[in-house]
Amino acid sequence: MDNFVKFINAAVLAGTPVLLGTLGEILTEKSGNLNLGVEGMMFMGAISGLAGAWFAEQWFNWSGVPAALIALLISFVAGAFGALMYAFLTVTLRANQNVTGLTLAIFGTGFGNFFGELLGKRAGGFVTVTAHTKDAFANLNFGPLSKIPVIGRLFFSYNWLVYFAVIVAIALHLFLKHTRRGLNLRSVGESPATADAAGINVNLYKYLATIIGGGICGIGGMYMTMVTTGGIWVHNTIRGYGWLAVALVIFATWSPARALYCGLIFGGLMMLRLYLPIPGVPQQIYDMLPYVATILVLIGMSIRQSKEYAQPKSSGLNYFREER
Amino acid sequence: MRKFLSMMLSLVLLLSLLAFVPATVAAASETEAEMEIEETEPVIEYLPNQIPEGEPTNMDPVALEDIKIGFVHVSDPSDQGYTYNHDLGTQHMAETLGLNEDQIINKFNVPETAECATALRELAEEGCHIIFATSFGFEDFVLEVAAEYPDIEFCHATGYQALTTDLPNVHNYFGAIYQARYLSGIAAGLKTETNLLGYVTAMPFAECISGFDAFYLGAKSVNPDVKMLVMYTNSWNDPTKEAQVAQALIDRGADVIGQHCDSTAPATTAQQNGVWHVGYNSDMIEAAPEASLTSAVWDWSQYLIYAVNHRVEATAIALDWSKGLADKVVDISALNEDIIAEGTAEAIEEAREKILSGEWDVFTGPLYDNEGNIVVEEGVTFVEPQSAPSFEFILEGITVVE
Repeated sequence: MDNFVKFINAAVLAGTPVLLGTLGEILTEKSGNLNLGVEGMMFMGAISGLAGAWFAEQWFNWSGVPAALIALLISFVAGAFGALMYAFLTVTLRANQNVTGLTLAIFGTGFGNFFGELLGKRAGGFVTVTAHTKDAFANLNFGPLSKIPVIGRLFFSYNWLVYFAVIVAIALHLFLKHTRRGLNLRSVGESPATADAAGINVNLYKYLATIIGGGICGIGGMYMTMVTTGGIWVHNTIRGYGWLAVALVIFATWSPARALYCGLIFGGLMMLRLYLPIPGVPQQIYDMLPYVATILVLIGMSIRQSKEYAQPKSSGLNYFREER
Repeated sequence: MRKFLSMMLSLVLLLSLLAFVPATVAAASETEAEMEIEETEPVIEYLPNQIPEGEPTNMDPVALEDIKIGFVHVSDPSDQGYTYNHDLGTQHMAETLGLNEDQIINKFNVPETAECATALRELAEEGCHIIFATSFGFEDFVLEVAAEYPDIEFCHATGYQALTTDLPNVHNYFGAIYQARYLSGIAAGLKTETNLLGYVTAMPFAECISGFDAFYLGAKSVNPDVKMLVMYTNSWNDPTKEAQVAQALIDRGADVIGQHCDSTAPATTAQQNGVWHVGYNSDMIEAAPEASLTSAVWDWSQYLIYAVNHRVEATAIALDWSKGLADKVVDISALNEDIIAEGTAEAIEEAREKILSGEWDVFTGPLYDNEGNIVVEEGVTFVEPQSAPSFEFILEGITVVE
């Protein structure tokens, strides 16, 4: 039991950045924009969040919670900025979505590493935030709640970004399923021409969903620098987590609610080697597991031909009103 | 023809993937290592083109104020570990020799792929007279580029091929880091309460294995009941994975974490969990003041100064350079007085004297591997035949989790 709880704890911590990237991408794809630049937006969020916290400490002497909030805000803005470029290119200029997304992934990776090293030079060696700010990202203590056996450690032993990700997932689910605007957004993603005919501002929805989605991806990147690597810029911090997030979108079949437990499964698959090692099975096999799971889900989906579990229909296609 | 060749090559690659590589490699090197267990000092036999240390080379001498020095690193100083420490060595060298900033060109974050060859060529074209490549996986690229630039000295840390290639301008350097690890292991052995150490290490090969063996032997010398768990990250510098592996070891009950990887992630993870940590490469007390007991550290500046001076005079650098505790090339960083166990400093001093006396070394028999076979006989001391470690028996009391 004890080992199981520890395994779940590790899975949650490993799954959270991927979950945030996934939630951002689900929101984006619901508007019919297939933004493959999650990796890039996570990189942009990662470096900007760290830089935001660091400058908040240097310039205003804010550390701890204020610096953490600055990191949250700036990483959102940076991710949203990446997504804005994507939206402008694909929605307004109608560039190819796949190519634009891949370009954004490459651009963001360079952006992150370039400014990471620049900031390191400026800080004299490497950037690191103060211990006070690091503590703001440490695991929370809910007092008596955290002390309940098993339950306390399963549910009340994480840093605030984990709970933030859960809230975002639930909010997105409620928005998409239970609000008029959510319905509008889904119809834009399924059939923009129909939505347009119904008087929905297709471009506005596409822009907003893509930009907010990109911002959420950016926060996922910030999780990597502030929590996973402990407030230090490390070259290539994201290293593939963005692509895992894109895979998780498929694994979760475009549903923010399912992304919650699918994210946990992904985190679990990433941690499996460390907690349930099978002698003789090399690590590389374990590293493949999340992707193997994604392929299995894709196969299952194509067999069942389910409408509910499918990608939004216009995802990947640009909408041009005059083109009928 | 090219297509056919590349197809054949990829086939061979695929096949070698399928074959159970670790088992065969281990078997092959076992016999090799057994043959090497001798008390005699290694004698260097020079190949036709190689030049003995100190003899004049075919290169032109260069004035100290004109020399250009290149470095290729696998990460950057933000790792606060291996590259950070190597860069400190560079700075110390620059100060000692009075070099200007623009005489040193650093290439950071170079992966162990063909990009390394590109980085080396760029340094060569920028006019470097001597180039240091500091990561194990750079070696093949160093050999490739060194053949193209016979007027440039190439020095590769942690490698093993300089002795067997007949390029006169390739050199390996490393040191007896296992001696420092032994000393740092003493701090861990005295501190542990669960008698279980955890060790985060990079790759399953001799440099790492001899490292954790020495660390464990140090701990065992003061705490006969201690056991150790080892986990690999399969990467030299992946802080995310290092933190996750450290966490997994702590979750298995380890209460002192040792490490052989480049970043401070194991130290900060230990601190978050309220357990202790022994570092590598640099003093990690600043990163984890409540966890870090001490670190096994390098002073690379000694080799850098030595090699640069030889390049200035155009005399040959040793093909394979290795020094240890006696020359202070390796040592441990200051003990964290607030948290070390009582008697740690005394126990470490005693062991240090023993090593410095020259009559005893870390791998003195009898030593058994974790399957009960004797690997070093009683009264025999295993001496590394060259700078790159070759001792790769996993000793009794150590469990590798994979």
